[in-house]
Amino acid sequence: MRLVAEKLCRSFGPRKIFGPLSFATSPGRVLGIAGANGSGKTTLVRTLVGLIRPSSGSVWLEDESLPAGRITVRDANGSIGWCAPDLALYAELTPAENLEFFARVAGRPIPREEAERRIAEVGLDPKRLRTIRTRFLSTGQRQRVKLAYAVLGSPAVLFLDEPGSNLDEAGHRAVEEIVAAQRARGSVVLATNDPVELALADERVDL
Amino acid sequence: MILRAAAAVFVKDLRTEWRTRVALNALLLFAFSVLILVGYAVGPTRLALEDRPIVNSVLLWIVLFFSAMTGLSRAFVNEEETGTASALRLSAPPAAVFLGKLLGNLALLGVVMALVVPLFLALMSFGIAAPGLFLAILAFGAIGLASASTFIAAIVAKTAAKGALFAVLATPLLLPPLVAAVTGTRIAATEPELAAGLDAVRLLFAFDGIMITASFLLFDAVWRE
Amino acid sequence: MKVLGSVGKVVLGVGMAVILWAAFLYAHPAESFIGESSRIVFFHVPTAWISALAFLLAAWHSALYLKTRKIERDDAAASAARLGVLFCVLATVTGSLFAKVMWNSYWNWDPRQTSIVLLLLVYGAYLGLRQAIEEPERRATLSAAYALVAFATVPFLMFAVPRMYASLHPDTVINARGKVEMSPDIKLVFFTSMIAFTALFAWMYALDVKATRLVRRLEERADGGHTA
Repeated sequence: MRLVAEKLCRSFGPRKIFGPLSFATSPGRVLGIAGANGSGKTTLVRTLVGLIRPSSGSVWLEDESLPAGRITVRDANGSIGWCAPDLALYAELTPAENLEFFARVAGRPIPREEAERRIAEVGLDPKRLRTIRTRFLSTGQRQRVKLAYAVLGSPAVLFLDEPGSNLDEAGHRAVEEIVAAQRARGSVVLATNDPVELALADERVDL
Repeated sequence: MILRAAAAVFVKDLRTEWRTRVALNALLLFAFSVLILVGYAVGPTRLALEDRPIVNSVLLWIVLFFSAMTGLSRAFVNEEETGTASALRLSAPPAAVFLGKLLGNLALLGVVMALVVPLFLALMSFGIAAPGLFLAILAFGAIGLASASTFIAAIVAKTAAKGALFAVLATPLLLPPLVAAVTGTRIAATEPELAAGLDAVRLLFAFDGIMITASFLLFDAVWRE
Repeated sequence: MKVLGSVGKVVLGVGMAVILWAAFLYAHPAESFIGESSRIVFFHVPTAWISALAFLLAAWHSALYLKTRKIERDDAAASAARLGVLFCVLATVTGSLFAKVMWNSYWNWDPRQTSIVLLLLVYGAYLGLRQAIEEPERRATLSAAYALVAFATVPFLMFAVPRMYASLHPDTVINARGKVEMSPDIKLVFFTSMIAFTALFAWMYALDVKATRLVRRLEERADGGHTA
C-alpha cells in the first residue's frame, strides 16, 4: 500500500503552516520528514493520518487490492499506525488495558496475553506493569507504550513523529527495530530532528 | 461492530470513572448540596397544598438539570484535555464513540437519579399518584438530558471556554423537554390515571428521538471537524 | 451579489414610506380588535416571517458548509442568523405591544411568545458559540453543527411546546388572533408590506454577507498570512 500526498496545503485561518507538498511512500521504504522546530512537521503528520483536514490538495492510500484503487486516510481505519508527541494514552488504564481497548474499538480485539506480548516487544516488562496505570509510568516508558500502540494493528503505513523523544539508548534501538520490522510490512513516515534517526530514511521531504 | 466498539468505549469510560470517580463525586456532591438547600429552605410543609405538585416538580427537575450541567460535559472535555481524543479518533468509528459516550452519560445520570429522586421525594414528602408515569417521565427525561448534553459536550470540548459555554448551548435546547418533564411530573403527582400524562411522555419521546437522530447525523462533523 | 440596483432602492424607499402611510391612514382597523391595535399586523407578521426565513437560510447554509467546506457558506449562515435574531426581536417587541393592548399585559406566556423567546435563546447561544471560537474553520464547523441541531429542535419549539402550554392554559388567546377574513384594503397593505419587508431583508442580507466576508479577509490580511 502506498501513501500519496498531492499538492497538500494546510493553513490555520490566515497562517500558512506548510505546502503545497507532493510526495509518496512505497512499501519497504522510509520517508523522512525533516524540518526545524515549528516548521510544521507535526501538523503535516496529523494531516497525513487524517486528524486534520487539508486546506487544499489531498492525501490517500493506494493499492490494487482496494475496491476503487484508493481510499482517503480518513476511511483507512486501521491501515495506519501513529506515534507522536501529541498522542496520549488513557492515564487511568494500565498499558495492557490501553492496547486491548484500542484493538477492540478498531474491531480487532486481542487477548490479554497478546497485549502483554506487544508490551514486551517495546522493551517493557509486562508483568511488572500489570497493575500500574499509565499515568504512573515515566515519560520514556510511556513513549514505548505509544510505540506499541502505533504498531498494534500491523499498519500498512506507520507514522512516527519524533519517535525517539525521551528514550534512552535501548529505546532508540527499539525504534530502529520497529522501523526495520515495518519495512517488511509496509512503509514508514518518519518526522524527526534527530540526524541519527533521519539516516534511516530512504527519501526525504524538507519543510 | 459499531455496537461492540461502543461497548468498549462505554466500559473504558466506566473503568476510568470508577478509578477516579471525579465526575460521579462532582455530580453527587452537587445534587446533594442542592437537595439539602431545597429541603431546608422549602421543606415539605411550607408550601400551600395546591402549590406542592407544580413547585416540587420544578424543583426536582432543576436539581437534575443542573446536576447534568455540572457533570456531563466531562465525556468529551476529558478526552480533548488529556490528548487521548486523537488516538480515539484514529481507532474508533465515530458513531461508536458517540454511542459509548451517550451510554456513559446515561449511566452517570442514572446513578444520580437513583439516589437523588427517592431522597427528594422523601425530603419533600412529595407523593406520586402514578408511579408508572413518573418512571416513564424520569427515563425519557434522562435520555433527553443525556443525549443533548453528550452532543453539546462534543462541541464545547473543542472550544477554549468549555464549561462556561456548555450550559449556554445546552439550556435552550433542553428547555422544551424540561417543560414537558415538569408538566409530566406534576401530572404524575396528582392524577392516578396514566393516560393523563401521555402527552408529556409523547413529547419527551419525540424530543429524544429527534435529538439522538440529529446527533448521530452531525457527530462525525463535530468529532473529526 | 447585488440585490437592488439604484432604481430598486428608490422603489423600496418610496414603497416603505407608502406602506407606513397606508398602514396608519389608508387601511381600516379590523373588527374584533381593540382600537387601532390591528394595524400592527402590517409590521409584526412581516418581521416574524423574515426571522423564520432567516433561520431557515442559516440552517440551509450551515448544511451546505458541512457538505462543501466552503467558508463563504459560513459567512452566509452567520449573517442570516444575526439578521434572524434582529427580526425575531422586532417580532417579539411588536407582538408584546399588541398583547398589551389586547390582553392588557406585555407578556403572558402565550404559546407563541414562549416559542419565540426560546428561538431567541437558541440563536443567541449560536452567536455566543461563534464568538468563543477563534479559528475560522473550527468556528464554521462547530457552529454549523449546532445550528443544525437547533434547527432540528425548532419544530419542537414551534409546535410541541405551544401545545403543551395550551393544555395548561386552555385556549386563551390564540383563537382570537386567527387572521379572520381581511377586508380588501387591509389585505392590499398587508401583502405589499410582506413583499417590501422581504426585499428589505434581501438587501440587508446581501450587504451583511458582504461585510462579513470583508471583515474576514481584512483579518486574514492583518495577520500577514495567506489562505489557500
